Amino acid sequence: MKKPNQPAQGEESSKALDKKRDEDLAKDRVLIYHLREVIKTREAEGTAFRLVVPSLQIALGEKIALIGQSGCGKSTLLDLLAMVLQPTTVGAFRFRPEPGAPPLDVAADWRRGQLNHLGDLRRQRMGYVMQTGGLLPYLTVRDNISLSRRLLGMPDDGTVEQLAKSLEIERHLSKRPSLLSVGERQRVAIARALAHKPSIVIADEPTAPLDPITARKIMTLFINLVEKFHITVIVASHDWNHVEKLGLRGLSHRTRQHGDLTETVVTG
Amino acid sequence: MSTQRSSGQPPTGLVHIFWLASRDYAHEWVMSGCFVLALAAVLAPMMVLFGLKFGIVGSMIGQLVEEPRNREIRSIGSGHYDAAWFESVAKRPSVGFIIPRTRNIAATIQLRSESAPRIISVELIPTAKGEPLLPAGKAVPTNAGQIVLSESATRKLNIKVGDVIDGSLVRRFQGKHERVHMDLTLIGTASHAAFSRDGGFVSLGLITAIEDFHDGHAVPAFGWSGDTAPTARIFPSFRLFARSIDDVATLRDDLITQGLDVRTRAVDIETVQAIDRNFTAVFWIIAIIGFIGFSFSLGASLWANVERKRRELSVLRLVGFRTGDIVWFPVLQALFTASLGWILASAIYIGVEQTINHMLMPQLQAGQVVCRLLAEHFLITAGLTLFAAISAAALGGYRSARIEPSEGLRDL
Repeated sequence: MKKPNQPAQGEESSKALDKKRDEDLAKDRVLIYHLREVIKTREAEGTAFRLVVPSLQIALGEKIALIGQSGCGKSTLLDLLAMVLQPTTVGAFRFRPEPGAPPLDVAADWRRGQLNHLGDLRRQRMGYVMQTGGLLPYLTVRDNISLSRRLLGMPDDGTVEQLAKSLEIERHLSKRPSLLSVGERQRVAIARALAHKPSIVIADEPTAPLDPITARKIMTLFINLVEKFHITVIVASHDWNHVEKLGLRGLSHRTRQHGDLTETVVTG
Repeated sequence: MSTQRSSGQPPTGLVHIFWLASRDYAHEWVMSGCFVLALAAVLAPMMVLFGLKFGIVGSMIGQLVEEPRNREIRSIGSGHYDAAWFESVAKRPSVGFIIPRTRNIAATIQLRSESAPRIISVELIPTAKGEPLLPAGKAVPTNAGQIVLSESATRKLNIKVGDVIDGSLVRRFQGKHERVHMDLTLIGTASHAAFSRDGGFVSLGLITAIEDFHDGHAVPAFGWSGDTAPTARIFPSFRLFARSIDDVATLRDDLITQGLDVRTRAVDIETVQAIDRNFTAVFWIIAIIGFIGFSFSLGASLWANVERKRRELSVLRLVGFRTGDIVWFPVLQALFTASLGWILASAIYIGVEQTINHMLMPQLQAGQVVCRLLAEHFLITAGLTLFAAISAAALGGYRSARIEPSEGLRDL
């Protein structure tokens, strides 16, 4: 970690100034996620995997892309952010449920085993788009989309129809998911994730099972919708070119091999 | 806002799970139908088995209780019983009916009707109100002009209730052959079960008068002449019925200690009671094995169901259903299966019951059934089925409680 060249004095001070300005900006913008020194270790049959997050800050309304090959720890990071996986060690893990609210200490909930509190947070503040939709086969498209709204006791105010229209699936509303194509099912899954107006939507390779043209089309629709609703989004994807065009910020990560231990470090 | 939402959550969570579980159950109707059939396949034969046990043993016991002959205590040989003895026996709480019996030889009468060609000779049985062998509520001879004939005698005389027939007695008295006649009104018939030979139930007054006539005594009431009858009458025998079959043994023992030689049907009663006990034991063994097997099969299918629906259940966890809510998913579906399976099993049972009873009708007496269950038996079956389903569903519930929401994010 040697610096390649020694910068001049003036440059040095202006850089420090830039850095300070960045930090001020960071304080100004409202963070939805604030993670510091979060580590998750997984061991299986002699091989171990470690995800290290020295620092991760995600602002409200930000669009984040996680790019990388499978096995690099994308899913582990998504699980941690979705609060369904307990970190092994944690410096700080804070989550702000909505703009005006104070950040919540997720690490403390994990420590005290308050899983239902985390479940409530998930139900109220989060939406998910699974790789294969994860739709319930026994419910109609309309019921699938309104599931989270129904669960939260939210009124039937036309949001479902509006979303269906935006995603061009309104003619399928009373069908069951099995009658839909894979692409249409992903659109339903996106509508379901957004229907209860969550603070954040987490999508794990939402377009992976689709052909590239459909994938790009659906990803564009998805990102446009989260922008429209000012929802923070974290997407795991393998199509960096496209998500960069849509204005997503990529999280940088490095993977190293130490014998049997694979370590991925993510910062952003 | 968030506290408001979470405070109203637990009950609505259950409502949503009920809605989802029933939608899933209806959506997978083929699977659900298989579970229902599997349950009915175990439950219906058990219900039929119990119906048979209850019907057969029930009618055997019913017969025991209803058949008055089972309560009868017969004296063997002849004795000397006076009015005081009859009074003292009648006072015992275990005695249902007692009446003196005259000598058998003197207790016969010749009957003739205008509608039949021949005269028949019938045995006479003394009777009074409360006669166990005659149906309750029907007329019982209370005066000397009335008679209740057995079915065979009625048929031979070709008469019906209300007809008047001629009864005649004959004796050799002071070297002369004497015949007296009397009019008897038929007031009822006794079933074949009550008396199988040619016989007639008459009042004690008539039968003692007939004995007096045969003995050569005068009977002023009928205008029959003869010697003066002795004032204190001694009877050689009696007709005695215990109040219930349970009283038979005690009454028999009492009489034996008095030095009487009596005979009862206590052995038959004990046989039926032993059959009931053994039958019940066998039934319970089969029922318990069936119940355990049924619980395990239901538990296994529910467990497999939860495994099959792991992904869907984890999606529910991911959208925010609590562990406590998710556990209800398999439990509610088990309750659906139990309810529908019970309804189907009951329907199958009722069909089988009707068929069996119809098939065996010719061999049965009126009102008897081979296969029978009471309403409370159906309710008990329903209760046991629900109990088994819930305990089996606890397995599935335990399994589903272990499902992590993170599984919903993965593709298994």
